[in-house]
Amino acid sequence: MKVTVTRSGGFAGLSTRWEVRVDEQPDEDAWLSLLRDLPWDAERRQAPQPDRYTYRIRCEPVPAARPEPREAVIGEQSLTGGWRELVDRVRSLDPSPERATPSRRDRGTSSTF
Amino acid sequence: MSTHTNIARCFIVPPYLLDHIAKLDDPRLEHASHAAQRALASAPPYATVRRGEPAPGQKSMRSTPEAPRREAVAGEPSRFISDAGGSENLPGRLVRSEGESPTADDSVNEAYDGLGDTYSLFWEAFTRDSIDDNGMPLAATVHYGEAYDNAFWDGTQMVFGDGDGQVFVGFTNSLSVIGHELAHGVTQYTANLVYSGQSGALNESVSDVFGALVEQHSRGHSADEASWLIGEGIFSAEVEGQALRSMKAPGTAYDDDVLGKDPQPADMSGYIETDDDNGGVHLNSGIPNRAFYLTATAIGGNAWESAGRIWYETLTTEIKANTDFAQFAEATATVAARLFGDDSSEADAVRSAWREVGVTSPAE
Ligand SMILES: [Zn+2]
Repeated sequence: MKVTVTRSGGFAGLSTRWEVRVDEQPDEDAWLSLLRDLPWDAERRQAPQPDRYTYRIRCEPVPAARPEPREAVIGEQSLTGGWRELVDRVRSLDPSPERATPSRRDRGTSSTF
Repeated sequence: MSTHTNIARCFIVPPYLLDHIAKLDDPRLEHASHAAQRALASAPPYATVRRGEPAPGQKSMRSTPEAPRREAVAGEPSRFISDAGGSENLPGRLVRSEGESPTADDSVNEAYDGLGDTYSLFWEAFTRDSIDDNGMPLAATVHYGEAYDNAFWDGTQMVFGDGDGQVFVGFTNSLSVIGHELAHGVTQYTANLVYSGQSGALNESVSDVFGALVEQHSRGHSADEASWLIGEGIFSAEVEGQALRSMKAPGTAYDDDVLGKDPQPADMSGYIETDDDNGGVHLNSGIPNRAFYLTATAIGGNAWESAGRIWYETLTTEIKANTDFAQFAEATATVAARLFGDDSSEADAVRSAWREVGVTSPAE
């Protein structure tokens, strides 16, 4: 299992991506339970606030397999509770994140994970 | 100015701020706190106030004789700077109110002065009395978050981080950043451009335009003398870059090992379709930014007197929340013709700028 956090937007409009291989963590069970309990499918209707960050949080099986990867897009101002905990954990374990220009929209279905 | 006369201006302070001041238990602010409590007691609950409109009775309250003496004066800002102390709690502790002397904290003073310069541009160039054109207090919080690499507008106030110290060194260092954030408030109270896709990129661009104009107005720079950079001074010395964005040459502001290269497109051929950044609002803003730069330099002189005037009138009278690039271009051309005449060099400059960035076609 792999978790990626891509933070985009902000005043600078820079994208930063942090990544953690959950299956390589000594406390894998705690990670899995944190991931399982998050409300991935909850509807998030939030008015964007100018220059705040947007977080795209993605959880992917490695190697590619069922279940389907899960993804949530959350505005910085709504990043609380378990989501905040997850993002803070991922960031703390990946001290050299990848800086990237925002990914261009992919019209097809991604199947590379 | 004593704290007591300061708070008299609170009849135009947003209730949330009054609420905040009323709850302060700092003994130095006792007068302010009591005055705010009195103001709250006589004001309607703020849930009933619709955004963009003065509170019911607000105007008359400003001239009521039994109100505390000092009235808010059009043409003078009403600034409140708070300190979040590294937390993410807003607004934080109030540390400098309008008329008070500088503090020992550079960030506080930079925010205070920057808000003053921004107020001055809007008042002197466009006779706009603050964000809502009704004397709304300018509230800002500094030292937000831990090593926070950002600044934002939360719908009611400006918020500035200190940066991580390695890439970014504090967001109050740049007057264009401060002007940019305050301009988000002006947009919210006028066209209220939807913060997504093209209307979102226009929202961003308008903030860059007025952020740049604040800096030019404050320095007395004409369009030819201006840097046309946004966020000069917020990078550390290690970063290979002049600023965060260049309105003159989008895509060239920085090229750094750690940050990568400035990703902004300079015309429609580079328009970025993305799901990130609310649909690339900070990226595609480079296109209308350059249209403004081309207009202002083609006209010459002080940008706030011509191109700035056209953009300001467009934002406040001519466009809707979901306006896209092409509609915005058309609106600026309409306004330029209205202000300066259809055959004017100003209107010509506007039309040719939008053609050059590929928003309108050469045939138009
Ligand atoms: Zn912005």
